[in-house]
Amino acid sequence: MPKCPCGSGSAFNACCEPFLNGAPAPSPEALMRSRFTAFVRGDLDHIERTHAKDVRDGFNRSAAESTANSVEWVSLEIIDAPARADGDDTGTVEFAARFRQNGDLMVHHERSNFRREDGRWAYVDGKMNPKGEPRRTEKVGRNEPCPCGSGKKYKKCCGA
Amino acid sequence: MERRFSCPTCGKCCYGQLPLSLDDALAHADRFPLVVMWTPVRQGGRSFDITAELGITIKLRKRRLAAVQITPCAYLPPSFACPELTEDGLCAIHAEKPQRCRTMPFSAYRDEKDQGDLLLPRPAWLCDVSPNAPVVYRDKGILAREAFDAEHAQLVRAATILKPYAEWLLDSVPSLGAELQKVAMKPSSGQVVVSFATLIPRLPKLDIYEFAEKQLPIMKALAEKTAGDPALADYHKRYADMAGEWERIARA
Repeated sequence: MPKCPCGSGSAFNACCEPFLNGAPAPSPEALMRSRFTAFVRGDLDHIERTHAKDVRDGFNRSAAESTANSVEWVSLEIIDAPARADGDDTGTVEFAARFRQNGDLMVHHERSNFRREDGRWAYVDGKMNPKGEPRRTEKVGRNEPCPCGSGKKYKKCCGA
Repeated sequence: MERRFSCPTCGKCCYGQLPLSLDDALAHADRFPLVVMWTPVRQGGRSFDITAELGITIKLRKRRLAAVQITPCAYLPPSFACPELTEDGLCAIHAEKPQRCRTMPFSAYRDEKDQGDLLLPRPAWLCDVSPNAPVVYRDKGILAREAFDAEHAQLVRAATILKPYAEWLLDSVPSLGAELQKVAMKPSSGQVVVSFATLIPRLPKLDIYEFAEKQLPIMKALAEKTAGDPALADYHKRYADMAGEWERIARA
């Protein structure tokens, strides 16, 4: 059995195939993976079916199909799929899908929002190229011990 | 204060790029070479407020803002006549011409109070602003306002699609934001031309293959027409790029 296109390492029939055939995905990440696999296989039915109800009408199937067919999918990397509490009906998955278009290697980096509707996970929307938490730095007082561990005051050591 | 204006149909305003409402762009996709035009307006400019309302705002340096007008546009060099302008200087599609043309000389991209300079004929235009012409604009109010209101309604409706499209494309293509900032900081205002194909995923009912078939021959013909003229090199490159893009989509 061939490996699943989503890159899980499992066989296709033990990974995304059941979801493409209509079985409910157990988590936002599983659904996300199956939607990537659907793009690789040109299975636009699965893409359309797994949209949340309120975004289904805004989906341009021909444009998605055109994109899916014009690129060569390379890999899927799940960057973050935060754990959810039981019964939580929303979830997010951050991923990077790499593909080749006109010979150029490109990356689609998105943090997607998912919602559970009638017991099935569905794709709601996504933020492209999401920014991480802003970086914070601790300020070291001049008279405090130097963070390098020398035991001297910061102003007598690295802060001099 | 009264302003007079009458159009002698000299056809001089039927040259160069033509902003189109989304409705008109889609209705005339087999006619015009379509792009999405992004035009920054710096804070302090008279059209800043209405542009921010119909479009988006971006941050510039020193905590300044620019509003960005995002509009579908027939992309033509200033020296090129509208493809529907006839030999005798009239409109070949008068009955179905775009709302932008109907609203002339006024423009719903501007505040109603800010229309005065649009009534001044530009060099070589034959607009009649003499005492013989009828009063069209009084105390900064448009007298016959059907066309203006119709255009304004189209722009408001399109904004519900164009605003989220613009935010999404800025997130997707970081270089677009940088380019807009660069253009917005220039003393002479500029524009950023974006392929119409970027807008199609946001237009659910539009068939991208049919659309590509309409645009492809138009872009090809203009790429040929602009070839070899150094003054039109930028236009030529864009037409050729867009022809390539539509061809890839149509072929798939």
